Amino acid sequence: MTMVTAYVMIKASTGEADRLLESIADIDGVVDAHIVAGDVDVIAKVEVDEPAAVKGIAADGVQNVRGVENTQTYIAMD
Amino acid sequence: MRFVIIGAGRVGLRTARVLAEEGHEVTLVERDATTADRAREEGFEVIEGDGSKEDILETAGIEDADALGALSGDLNVNFAACLMGKHHGCRTIMRIDEDYRENIYRKYAEEVDDIVYPERLGAIGAKNALLGGSIRAIADVAQHLQVVELTVTDESPMRGYSITELELPADARVLAFGKHDGPMRIPLPDDSLEIGDRVAVLADFEVLEDVRQILVGQTPIGGR
Repeated sequence: MTMVTAYVMIKASTGEADRLLESIADIDGVVDAHIVAGDVDVIAKVEVDEPAAVKGIAADGVQNVRGVENTQTYIAMD
Repeated sequence: MRFVIIGAGRVGLRTARVLAEEGHEVTLVERDATTADRAREEGFEVIEGDGSKEDILETAGIEDADALGALSGDLNVNFAACLMGKHHGCRTIMRIDEDYRENIYRKYAEEVDDIVYPERLGAIGAKNALLGGSIRAIADVAQHLQVVELTVTDESPMRGYSITELELPADARVLAFGKHDGPMRIPLPDDSLEIGDRVAVLADFEVLEDVRQILVGQTPIGGR
């Protein structure tokens, strides 16, 4: 079974970075997440079985965390 | 002192002007040619290039700078510059673009010594202008704590009383006092509050209005 890896760039709207990071890290499929400096605030690594699941995690999982303003998802091709 | 400023736009250039006026040495780093030229026309030394690149910062003299102001509009550039500034032993100041980020950088970014959010300072200025003469915000110390300067008016209930007689609510403190024609200084117990005298008070937002009524008088803010 091939795994799909994706990176989700998350722009926040809250200073509660700890809570944000914890909520994102708890989402099924998120295998790693870090607070980063720059114009996005958190980058999460997602590993799932199929490409369609990536969309679900970004749209329903991450976007629904309170304090997430928007996300941009990059699916790894290698 | 020697300073390197990243960004010669509206924040960086103004900061450079103020520093230069006080006799400090300033080198600006700016990646836009037109903006760089404008700063050069004012007599500043400007290194044209990307402030997140080490060679550019070295050309700007980061090795012997006392502090680095990462004041461009680009967060990634600002942070990278602070990272390198810290490495070279500079005090580092980073401009942020949205206020929620202040807490994040204060907590996580050890490379950044202090944060500047220009819009907040703009808001304080705008508030001062809107409120008119008798109360002036000096600084937001914390989310609920502010230093304000109040001017004693002819309607002030405390007019004619001394600083010792002044009782402020909820542990609000008098920090400084200035006679109407003098500079602000450490308050003395015998200082009496006369029309036009100014008092700088540290107070919680919740009691600010009470402090204002005690020192300034009953006139509602903005008048009616």
